[in-house]
Amino acid sequence: MARWEPLGMSVTPVLDLRGIEKSYGSVKVLHDVCFTAYPGEVTALVGDNGAGKTTLVKCIGGIHPHDRGEYRFEGRPARVGNPRDAAALGIEIVHQDLALCENLDIVQNLFLGRERRRGLTLDEAAMEALAAETLSGLSVRTMGSVRQRISNLSGGQRQTVAIARAVLWDSRLVVLDEPAAALGVAQTQQVLELVRRLADRGLAVVLISHNMNDVFAVSDRIAALYLGRMVAQVRTADVTHRQVVELITSGTGGGLGLRR
Amino acid sequence: MKGGPSQEDIRRHNLGTLLRFVHLRGPASRATLAESLGLNRSTIMALTADLTAAGLVREELPRKPGRRAGRPSLVVRPESTRVYVLAFDVGVDRLVVARVGLGGEIMDRREGTRDRDAEPGELVGALAAAARSLVRKAGPAAVCVGAAAAFPGIVRRADDTIMFGPNLDMGEMSLGDTLSRRLGLGLTVSICNDADLGALAEHERGAGVGCDNLIYLHGDVGVGGGIIVGGRLLGGEQGFGGEIGHMVVNPGGRLCSCGSKGCLEAEVGERTLLAHAEREEGAHPDGRAAVRAVVDAADRGDIVAREALHRVGTWLGLGVANLVNIFNPGLVVFGGTLRDVYLGSAAQVRSMLATGALAAPREKVRLRTAELGDDSTLVGAAEFAFAEVLADPVQVLARLRAPENTPVS
Ligand SMILES: Nc1ncnc2c1ncn2[C@@H]1O[C@H](COP(=O)(O)OP(=O)(O)O)[C@@H](O)[C@H]1O
Ligand SMILES: [Mg+2]
Ligand SMILES: [Zn+2]
Repeated sequence: MARWEPLGMSVTPVLDLRGIEKSYGSVKVLHDVCFTAYPGEVTALVGDNGAGKTTLVKCIGGIHPHDRGEYRFEGRPARVGNPRDAAALGIEIVHQDLALCENLDIVQNLFLGRERRRGLTLDEAAMEALAAETLSGLSVRTMGSVRQRISNLSGGQRQTVAIARAVLWDSRLVVLDEPAAALGVAQTQQVLELVRRLADRGLAVVLISHNMNDVFAVSDRIAALYLGRMVAQVRTADVTHRQVVELITSGTGGGLGLRR
Repeated sequence: MKGGPSQEDIRRHNLGTLLRFVHLRGPASRATLAESLGLNRSTIMALTADLTAAGLVREELPRKPGRRAGRPSLVVRPESTRVYVLAFDVGVDRLVVARVGLGGEIMDRREGTRDRDAEPGELVGALAAAARSLVRKAGPAAVCVGAAAAFPGIVRRADDTIMFGPNLDMGEMSLGDTLSRRLGLGLTVSICNDADLGALAEHERGAGVGCDNLIYLHGDVGVGGGIIVGGRLLGGEQGFGGEIGHMVVNPGGRLCSCGSKGCLEAEVGERTLLAHAEREEGAHPDGRAAVRAVVDAADRGDIVAREALHRVGTWLGLGVANLVNIFNPGLVVFGGTLRDVYLGSAAQVRSMLATGALAAPREKVRLRTAELGDDSTLVGAAEFAFAEVLADPVQVLARLRAPENTPVS
């Protein structure tokens, strides 16, 4: 059984998962997972390799829907059976294997796969203006032309485009699965600051990272998965580096996590 | 004997308030101004007319294509190309001079490096030359309404005297007077503590907008601090307040440039980080680049660099814990090289905060990096330089535009 910290908040979580179960064939990967993400907060999802983080993200995004359990979004039960369901709720996922279209430019990527809403049709010039406005709103000065192809961008710039999609489409929840994995330190820092700014605008952000400094630098809460179970979801301000490392490596630590 | 405020006082106050609004928030319609400032539309119209006549604002159609249908209303826009200040950022290794337009946009800038053993005269010469070139490029129609410099040292408020600046020695020279004379614009160049200006900038334009209790920590060789309490910079009796870098966190610890031991600056400053990381003094790269190189090495797995950041982060966290207990800030901002140090050691910093600070003030404090990046102190200098014109816009402009004030070049 997981032990839960009192959250002491009356704010409705954007995402509230309870008792999530997921198997790949006969292999059980997630067991009785509870997970919440609040507006205005960065929730770090941590865990060892193979703990089930990416699988949980795929459940959230409807790519591999969960087998059992409750999925609530902004206080209401939601059915997320495919990625379109997730997008319709306002969920933007930046996958570990970043899915941007290499041969398209920044503007095209920002608008890709989005049905024009409420009869609002945008011409190329308006899309370009909106793209530039969104990127400058994120204080991105180093991007250059919005008509560049994605294939010309650095890893950090690609993450930024993916994050800009979330802002542009008024997402409620943004999930980033190891965004820093392939980035240099300067780019990682920029992505982290961007992630923080997204949350400061009121979005709920879920960040998966192996780097404890990254986790502590930007997160408000830390959720630790251990062998497919959620062993703790705690406020970052209340825990130490050592406790989190212990949670990751042994599922228990400093009075938190699994009872032995 | 003094009565209530006169009509003239009220008008001056309102002019300043309106100008400050468009300076900080950007172009706004009369309707927005009326609503935000709590003044009626006819007052806004009169104030706008006065500011327009003084050449401080202009009314025009919004530049961005509006997404709403219908005729867009005019917006009041600050005259950013015609009214400007000169902002100087005097770093230990880096000099920046900028022309910053009313409205806060950096219109033009010159950057240079400084040798650590350079003479004060060279420094002033470089700053003045850069400033003069910026003024020349601004053209004869533009007016400079103020000038201020961020300096890494303790500055006496009464006369801008640098009392202590161990990392950048100015000798006997009065930086403000010398620069003012060399510029010949009929303006005084104010000298302020760099971290105080960083705090100001982040409060007005960066991570701290809307947060009236914040602490800004600035890393540039040493460690500076700027503390904003109730929306105002904490200066203390003489303006020396907020020297967080010389808060003792480790009694009997490393020797500090101030003569004391175990100051925050001595435990987390550039020299200490580089020493822990076994980087040779005077090696290349130096300054900011050297600090960033250590963070970069740690990220790539270098155990010596990691250990160095770990040690430094522990003291930084202890310092922040003390500050959180004393000031109950809503926000702590890490700027200059401390941005990189914080991002590279956040696990230590926050672990120390979790164990070292009281639960109550710890609960709501947010830790952030400077949103203005390397420009926090520069932007702060600009904001400081704008203060006079924002306090009394029409008078100050009239004085500066008077023919007898035209600089002789
Ligand atoms: N598509 C899949 N088919 C079968 N097993 C999978 C699949 N994806 C992941 N797994 C398994 O599920 C477990 C959790 O993996 P994953 O969610 O990727 O973990 P994490 O992201 O925490 O490293 C691992 O044991 C992995 O081998
Ligand atoms: Mg994964
Ligand atoms: Zn000292």
